[in-house]
Amino acid sequence: MNGFAALYHQRLRRDGLQLALWIGITALLAFAAYAGVKDSFGTEQDRQSLLVAAIANPVILLFRGLPSGAGEGAFIAFLIVPFLCMLAAFMSSFLAVRHTRADEETGRAELVGGTPAGRMLPTVVTLVHGLIANLVLALLTALALVAAGLEAAGSFVVGSAAGVVGVFFLGLGLLTSQLMRTSRGANTVSVTVLLVTYLLAGIGNALGTPSDDLQRMESSWLTWLSPFGWAENSRPFADDDLWPLVLCTLVGIAFAVAAIALQSIRDVGSSFVAERAGRVDAHAALGSMTALVWRLSAGSIIGWAIGGAISGLLATTLASVVEEVSAENPSIEAVLNQMMASQGSIEQGLLTTFFVMIGILAACAGVQTITRARQEETHGTAELVLATPIDRVRWLFDFVIVGFAAIVIILAAGLGAASVGIALNDGDPDLYRSAVTVALGQVVAASVFLVLTALVFVLAPRGTIAVGWSLVLLAAVIGLFGPIFGMPENVTWLSPVAAAPVPVTDGVDVRGLWWLLGAIVVAGAASFGLMRRRELAAGG
Amino acid sequence: MTTVIRTSGLTKNYGRVHALDGLDLDVEEGQVHGFLGPNGSGKSTTIRILLGLARATGGEATVFGGDPWRSAVALHRRIATVPGDVSVWPNLSGGETIDLLSRLRGAERKDPVYRASKARLSEAFQFDPRKKGRAYSKGNRQKVALIAAFAVPADLYILDEPTSGLDPLMEVVFQREIARVRAAGATVLLSSHILSEVEQLCDRVSIIRAGRIVESGTLAQLRHLTRTEVSFTAADDASLSGIPGAHGVRVEDGRAHLTVDSDAIAETLPALGALGVQGLRIEPPSLEELFLRHYGDDLVAAEAASDPGARSS
Repeated sequence: MNGFAALYHQRLRRDGLQLALWIGITALLAFAAYAGVKDSFGTEQDRQSLLVAAIANPVILLFRGLPSGAGEGAFIAFLIVPFLCMLAAFMSSFLAVRHTRADEETGRAELVGGTPAGRMLPTVVTLVHGLIANLVLALLTALALVAAGLEAAGSFVVGSAAGVVGVFFLGLGLLTSQLMRTSRGANTVSVTVLLVTYLLAGIGNALGTPSDDLQRMESSWLTWLSPFGWAENSRPFADDDLWPLVLCTLVGIAFAVAAIALQSIRDVGSSFVAERAGRVDAHAALGSMTALVWRLSAGSIIGWAIGGAISGLLATTLASVVEEVSAENPSIEAVLNQMMASQGSIEQGLLTTFFVMIGILAACAGVQTITRARQEETHGTAELVLATPIDRVRWLFDFVIVGFAAIVIILAAGLGAASVGIALNDGDPDLYRSAVTVALGQVVAASVFLVLTALVFVLAPRGTIAVGWSLVLLAAVIGLFGPIFGMPENVTWLSPVAAAPVPVTDGVDVRGLWWLLGAIVVAGAASFGLMRRRELAAGG
Repeated sequence: MTTVIRTSGLTKNYGRVHALDGLDLDVEEGQVHGFLGPNGSGKSTTIRILLGLARATGGEATVFGGDPWRSAVALHRRIATVPGDVSVWPNLSGGETIDLLSRLRGAERKDPVYRASKARLSEAFQFDPRKKGRAYSKGNRQKVALIAAFAVPADLYILDEPTSGLDPLMEVVFQREIARVRAAGATVLLSSHILSEVEQLCDRVSIIRAGRIVESGTLAQLRHLTRTEVSFTAADDASLSGIPGAHGVRVEDGRAHLTVDSDAIAETLPALGALGVQGLRIEPPSLEELFLRHYGDDLVAAEAASDPGARSS
């Protein structure tokens, strides 16, 4: 038992801050959701009309929960339960892999396995550690809702829903850690299952059977294949049905038991799924620095592009829903008009807002590509390449050019999905033209972050990662929330994403374009000019 | 003979630290030049300057007569290198990394000569090219860099502690490769702190200490600087006083030990013969002793620090 205490203590020490953040954010999100609903959908009538619109529009159900009526609690559960579950799921599956396969991969497990703790105990301790973390998450989330003013029973069902989905993914993480050879492989499988089951629940809800008054949806069978679907079908504040949660817990525990059984019959360091062997010879295309940067970045660029496509689809499909809702509710219409004051119709305003978000995603991808250059430098692989006939300036240029390609790809994905949305609605050519304009504008805006981060990389390499991401975060906050907080225009214009050209009632507002292009030219020229004189700065 | 690498008065400061403090190094064409010194003595800094990865603070450095900082790309077409601490890309397989680096150095994908030498080296180094970079041990990462360096011919090989992490069998393979490129007329700068390796492979040796070259020459030249060790069976030192050229005569555990200037050993032999010595052993000075001549005081300091008796008294 002594070994148990020591290993549990070690896990707490390693995870303490991280778990506090995951759990704190989950509870805060629950608390904030209540405030948001009180603000935007204060009356029963507001909520009813939104549910009608949501049930009529499958896209919303894809990204939200299961409608169970317009009561305050049930409505919040509809809006927030899937996200709370998702946070618990990510926390738990990473936790499981971190303390089992990752330890094994780095050789730490061998260090522990050599002591009387043995092979099995670390996995058991990780299971207990994860169960306790999910229990705390469930309790605090429930308490946050109670503190916000909701009734206790429903609040605890919401908390438990998140907790049991956490337990499901804790078990899954333990199991994938047994099956896969690397922590990366185990995390990839877990996260893929997470995303697929999340979508399954959403699609299942969208295909469900609505009640006659369009206030409640019965999930189709697809939803019942997903832990997220089980959690949603507890219908907190409406039915408070616990058996789907029990089902979810049992499956999670079954995974964990299977993991422990597999652990008992295999060697430390081995796995049931052999790691896929790499290529003996490089692909014909992998013969230049540009190809290398592309190879290193492609995976994450695809990820950002999927985010861009989803945002693009929402940009043009949500507008019709919002218009429906606001037509029935003068109060909502008034709020919306205030937000979209300068941009003509609600459609235009939503389109711009969503493309600003896609622009931020693209900026993230650009910044990430440059931080990759920094990682190459500190990791030591830059030295391997720069000792071959590759010019320093050309080396940096390749990161910048791939970063720019990433920005274009992400906005193209957003624009493509937005066009699909327009075609599905009414094929409005004006809206299509607006989409092209804002997309092009955001390409320019995101490129500003790309070259600014490159400049930081050249001048102050150690600051590359911190400064690059801070710039994006700052610009996102100013650009997205500045107008709502009533910041003056010349302040919000400091944010490239807000300064990018937007369609207005009478044409296109291109005033911001000039400073963006100026910044790109100046920072770009400075980066490449100074790179000529820059030494390799390997020190972390 | 033409000079391939020349540095004179080379200095490099990192802040207040003088990593190089007036380094003079000459490497002639066709030489295998040992570059000897412990960690932190400035070997890797010198190599980074020669590769144009770092810029000299002062002094001069030329490689093939060119400035390594300004003409890095042109020079790198003729250079193969193994860095001191090899890192590889975690998601590229070893085979892919070797191909990438070779292609960057100008190898053609379908060139049968390149493909054959890659296959031969993978075989010789017993290297599995299918594993992903993140799965490789230090020794395997070292093999990636070595195979990439030797798979494409070069005029100059700059190798920074290339055998650290290799087992003794692989060191033999490495020595064979050095012999092969030397026979092809290439020049090698081999940085190392493994003295036996340098002793076996190198025509000339430069010993670096605190950013300066403190000793440079052929092994034969350097050996003149030290004495040859002579020992034989002896009960006491009664008859040992008359040996010409003998220094530091002492008897220990039934053996007499003495040292003789290496170029005067022939004059000592008749006296030894006259004594009718048994169990005679004559050992030429090892590189280790050469090395300790320059680093002996560091060793004394290190021993003092690690001896608990010395600390408590």
